[in-house]
Amino acid sequence: MNSAAPSESTLASEPLTPAPLNPFPVRLPLLLLAVALLICIAGYVALTVPAGWFPSATPKVWSIRELTVTRGRAVSANDALLIRPSDASNTIIVSLAAPFRSASYPVIAWAAHNIPEDAEVRLLWSNDYAPAKVNAMPIPVVSGRLRGISPASDPNWIGNITGIALAIHATFPQPISVSGVRARPMGVLEVLADRFKEWFTFEGWRGTSINTLSGGADLQELRRPVLLAAAVLLAALMGSAWAFRTGRTRALPVIVGVLFFAAWCIADVQWMWNLTRQAEASIAQFAGKDAHQRRLAAEDGPLFAFIEHARSKLPATPVRVFMMADADYFRGRGAYHLYPHNVYFDPYRNILPPPERMHGGDYIVVYQRHGVQYDAGEKRLRWDGNPPLKAELLLAEAGGALFRIL
Amino acid sequence: MEIIRLVLGLALPWILGVALMIAVRPPERSSGLPGEGAWIIGAGYLAGAFLLTLWMRALSLAGIPFGVAAIALPLVVMTAVLAAFAWRAAPASGLAVGGALRALTTPPVMQRIARIAWWAIIGWLALRFILLGIELGLRPLYPWDAWIQWATKARVWYELRTIAPFARAEAWFAADGALYFDASPEYPPTMPLLQAWTALALGRWDDALMNWPWWQIAVGLTLAIYGGLRSLGVAALPALAGAFFVASLPLANAHVALAGYADLPMAAYYSVAALAVLRWTRYRRWHDATTAAFFAVACSQIKNPGIIWTLTLLPGIAVAWWPRRGLRVAGVSFAAAALLLAFLAQTHPVLLNYRLHLDFDPQWAALGRSYFLLGNWHLLWYGAIAAAVLAYRQLLSPPLAPVTMIAAAGALFLFFVFGFTNARQWVADQTTVNRASLHFAPLAVIFMMLAFDAFSRRWQAAADPAPAVHPAPAAATGAPIGA
Repeated sequence: MNSAAPSESTLASEPLTPAPLNPFPVRLPLLLLAVALLICIAGYVALTVPAGWFPSATPKVWSIRELTVTRGRAVSANDALLIRPSDASNTIIVSLAAPFRSASYPVIAWAAHNIPEDAEVRLLWSNDYAPAKVNAMPIPVVSGRLRGISPASDPNWIGNITGIALAIHATFPQPISVSGVRARPMGVLEVLADRFKEWFTFEGWRGTSINTLSGGADLQELRRPVLLAAAVLLAALMGSAWAFRTGRTRALPVIVGVLFFAAWCIADVQWMWNLTRQAEASIAQFAGKDAHQRRLAAEDGPLFAFIEHARSKLPATPVRVFMMADADYFRGRGAYHLYPHNVYFDPYRNILPPPERMHGGDYIVVYQRHGVQYDAGEKRLRWDGNPPLKAELLLAEAGGALFRIL
Repeated sequence: MEIIRLVLGLALPWILGVALMIAVRPPERSSGLPGEGAWIIGAGYLAGAFLLTLWMRALSLAGIPFGVAAIALPLVVMTAVLAAFAWRAAPASGLAVGGALRALTTPPVMQRIARIAWWAIIGWLALRFILLGIELGLRPLYPWDAWIQWATKARVWYELRTIAPFARAEAWFAADGALYFDASPEYPPTMPLLQAWTALALGRWDDALMNWPWWQIAVGLTLAIYGGLRSLGVAALPALAGAFFVASLPLANAHVALAGYADLPMAAYYSVAALAVLRWTRYRRWHDATTAAFFAVACSQIKNPGIIWTLTLLPGIAVAWWPRRGLRVAGVSFAAAALLLAFLAQTHPVLLNYRLHLDFDPQWAALGRSYFLLGNWHLLWYGAIAAAVLAYRQLLSPPLAPVTMIAAAGALFLFFVFGFTNARQWVADQTTVNRASLHFAPLAVIFMMLAFDAFSRRWQAAADPAPAVHPAPAAATGAPIGA
């Protein structure tokens, strides 16, 4: 086919083993990578530690008991305050009256969730130099949470802080959750401990895991791939310098290859550790159970149990079934459990076809769906203001019901 | 008994595919060639799994209900015939499978430290697949699309013992019970058929155990990557490292543990098709060409974008087919595509009432975050870019040009999807961006390894002008094979 193609004899005579990898300098790149990592981490620490590297102060932590909601309506649940705005200003303010020395605590970190991404969030504070003046600094929102910030860069972070507050202005689709606030000295050890904790925070399976993985905590100040890539680059430069200086440039590709492979392995150690913890959790949740019990132990166990009851009322041969639920998840999951019946559900919208598109012999499964009314005496079923349908109630359980269209 | 049925059911497509891969090999090739056994076993599973689903589609067309006997018996006979054919054609080739297993557990001659690394990687990979197997075997079907548009079909086809048609809402209402409905009725049937077959083999519906083919695909892909890289001239340890890179990609692992999406199978079939193309460009053997064509067809039957992914193989074929003009043709094609995109982004043409305008609004920040900051890919994209930079002189050399062209076409496709279509929303919210990139990720590893290998050989040749004791294969040094 092509004159450039090798003959079979040429192929058969190819060496079965690769060329020896001499020289195979492994210790050198590993050493270089370790040094480069230390340099990168030291550089990061130098850039990020806001005050002294080894402060004497210890972190201060305030829980919801010390917090006051000065604007908004709050209820307490699970050691957190669930707060909604109380007026049309759409503003929430949570305050704390606790004095501390500004110089000892350069970082303030609020523990808050469900913050809208477009919210305007500010840290407010006053000090004993100018008690009447309220100072402010914006707080970034990342993935619905608040980043810790360092107001030490603000000239008004001075003297004794007499009080701090969290002010949030936004349109709130749901209550925000505030569980406390920490004032942190943020020395080297604290910074490194934070990063380590972020990298090795267990990331269990969740609905988004099939789309994206954070690689530890959702919020990370220093992303591990960036650190590793920077360390590989630095180590490669050092390795090049060594190779050219000693005249062993031939070894350079091996050095670079080993550096990259070692950095990949470091990244993979965290992932393997995460997988191991996940396997432990999955074993605790599902091991020793048969398929039916595993389904009941899964996240949608109650829905599955209800659908099982509903299925027992349905004919053995497939029939048309309409699945209704407010949540996309329950509609889709309910439908899935109902197959091989001929299920209809809207995967993306909480709407059901109008009654005229159904007919006698169809079934309707309702699960946690508002706006569905059934008149048992008249055997009339209606939803969303549509004209009623003649229907028979076959099953009613907490949160769910099965009807047959007559 | 149930476990035995399951294991046999899972083994059937694997053995079938391996027999097929051996049978179509030219008899001259001995079993001892680098990576050939791993390639046969790895690609063999993918081939056998696809053949199995083709057979199930044929049965359904013929009106024969699915059953273990109806599906398995003819395939067992086919396996036996293929094995006998392979044995008659070349008795030694029958040893390829054993040779591959031996090759993996008996590393090639190498230094002590390299041998330790070899065993460490094998052990690490084994532990990884055990953990993934635990997850897959225990957890009922979990991720969203899996139960809204994939396993929906598997369940119906398993219960009805035939491929019942699925349709969109209007058609479903009009059919009055004759059609089924789910979120994506037009998706190809391959993966649901594999799930249905596993359930049939098991003898009951179990939406955890039916997903074992995802684990097999991951193992098969890992072996195929190793074998493919070896056959393309990469040394044993770097080839194993390449396989390890693919097998340890966190998002790919998530798609095994939380099986049910077709993205990992899409990645596997596309990568193996690309490797078969690269083997053909290197050795010009008809069986590599047919293997590539077979896997290219399979790509289109895994997910709808598989058709486009298959087309991205064409530039690689073109530069190999026409070594002189191919690069120019591919370059002009890329430039034309870029110009067309730019034109459609700047204008508002209407053709046959279709608005052809494209909005160019790439979400670079979100894309960068996904590729370089989050935990989906380890260091893949850093490495691929670095390898391209290091090997920039050889990227268009005859041995590397095909993989460069395929990678460039794949990257262009992703760029188009994320830059010009409404998929940009999925970049911003980190949903489909990674799943679409997963299709391309193993190929990015292949490109990275081949580019770095070419760089490494050129560098070492330049640094050591004296004749090497073990000369590098001509193919990897930039010179045409056989020249």
